[in-house]
Amino acid sequence: MSERRSTISRALTIGTVALAPPFVSLGLLLLFIWALTAGGGYFWPMWPYWALVVITALRAIHVWDHSRPDERRRPFDALLGYGAVWSLGLIAIWGMSGGHYFWPVWPMLGFLILLGTPWIWGRSRTNRKLEVRVDELTRTRAGAVDVQASELRRIERDLHDGAQARLVALSMQLGRAEDRLAGKGADAGDVELVRQARLEATAAITELRDLARGISPPVLADRGLEAAVQSLADRSGMHVSVNAEIDHRPPPAVENAAYFVVAEALTNAAKHSPGAPVRITVWLEHSELGIVVADDGLGGADPGGSGLIGLRQRVEALDGWLEVRSPAGEGTTVRAILPCQ
Amino acid sequence: MSEPEPAPVRVVIVEDHALLREGLLALLTENGIDVVATAEDGPGLLRIVAGHKPDLAICDVRLPPTFTDEGIKAALEARRRLPSLALLVLSQYVEPAYSGELLASGESGVGYLLKERVSEVRTFVDAVRRVAAGGTALDREVVGSLMRERHSSGAGGSSPLDTLTVRERETLELIAQGKTNAAVARELVVTLGAVEKHISNIFQKLDLPATDGDHRRVLAVLTYLRATGG
Repeated sequence: MSERRSTISRALTIGTVALAPPFVSLGLLLLFIWALTAGGGYFWPMWPYWALVVITALRAIHVWDHSRPDERRRPFDALLGYGAVWSLGLIAIWGMSGGHYFWPVWPMLGFLILLGTPWIWGRSRTNRKLEVRVDELTRTRAGAVDVQASELRRIERDLHDGAQARLVALSMQLGRAEDRLAGKGADAGDVELVRQARLEATAAITELRDLARGISPPVLADRGLEAAVQSLADRSGMHVSVNAEIDHRPPPAVENAAYFVVAEALTNAAKHSPGAPVRITVWLEHSELGIVVADDGLGGADPGGSGLIGLRQRVEALDGWLEVRSPAGEGTTVRAILPCQ
Repeated sequence: MSEPEPAPVRVVIVEDHALLREGLLALLTENGIDVVATAEDGPGLLRIVAGHKPDLAICDVRLPPTFTDEGIKAALEARRRLPSLALLVLSQYVEPAYSGELLASGESGVGYLLKERVSEVRTFVDAVRRVAAGGTALDREVVGSLMRERHSSGAGGSSPLDTLTVRERETLELIAQGKTNAAVARELVVTLGAVEKHISNIFQKLDLPATDGDHRRVLAVLTYLRATGG
């Protein structure tokens, strides 16, 4: 607002300063002539003064309008500015001609109608366009998020059936080779070499498994959210009670987001309140999935921490809502609502 | 080889991945285990179980057509039809819920192992024989997560697990995996007597009833670990 005001005042200054020397000289000349001729009678110079003021004002508006960065608003604002100058000019004429009946109301009303009609029309057209655009974006984003979630599940499955299975087969063959070599009383170094190879293959399997779990937890795809949350609770290493009421499966994207909300909340609870009991509640009602993860620990979790920020982004990408309350000494509560359309 | 060999173990393999199925078949055959048939999916397993009445089914978790948990479902169904059937489920990831369902499914042998454990041939073949004989083979990942949970949960009130010595805890983990006393002794490089001493200490400290039979002992330990969690 203050920036806008300073722009206006700067424009007025520039517009006026350029015109000042000739206008001021002209004004003084007129005053001089009036003083010489009429000797203080009817002050006719007010009419040329009026003209000078109006010209200066129009000039200032022109300069101001062209000095602004937003080109789209220029024609409209210029019209508004010229209209204002015109109305004030008419009121001045009305005042200088002795007042009486306030006739400038009519041209002013006409001007308002002239300006208002395209404004209202443009506004509603913009609104309609925006509505269509918002609908379109909502739909395409939901589509993109769903596609992404199914793609992640497909990648997990491909890893499982492809690379992981082959590595298991490889490690099994290495195990058999090792066993045969050892059985034949082969050189200990040779047996050790095969054993090392087998351990490498096993390590690769473990890494792939962790990777796959991070991409899309298998139990979530296989058994749904309730089982996956229970599994998270089981492996969290804490006292966790789970209360889940989900009678049908929400879309994969919602399931994934809900799973990671619970996972991150449990990680946080383990970090900030180790040993404190945790309560998880998940419900599906009126096509909304609700999640609450609460502990009675120390509180003081940082809602701006990277884990929670990532979580919020995940939830907001689904038009959901996430809240973290963690007052010191009162435990931590993470709540999330995810719409499932 | 060290085991006295009674009737050979009769096994069915259910695995949709040809490479793994053939590898497993070769590995078991090489080690004197009789693979009576192989199948690629759940219905295949049920047909073989009806026809061959095998001792043990070795099953992948993800099978066609949906590639989710058909393997578990088919294995449990097969055991419902043939209660003496021992089950060894192989999975590329550990899911505590699956091991719970398997253990709860009956009295016969149960195993739940990560697939890559097949590469440790001796240990794997031992596990196959143990499960077929009515024992238990739980992956160390499953046991590990149960132990971690019970151990760390005692920040407020201390868990009885905290009263165990390091050696006793190691012993408990191995028992929970289904290992016999002899196997525990081998793994920890201690005498059989020392293992028995550890075990009697553990059962006393955790207030577990004395049990005979490895399977019952595993169940007692696992029941304890799960009960103290919730």
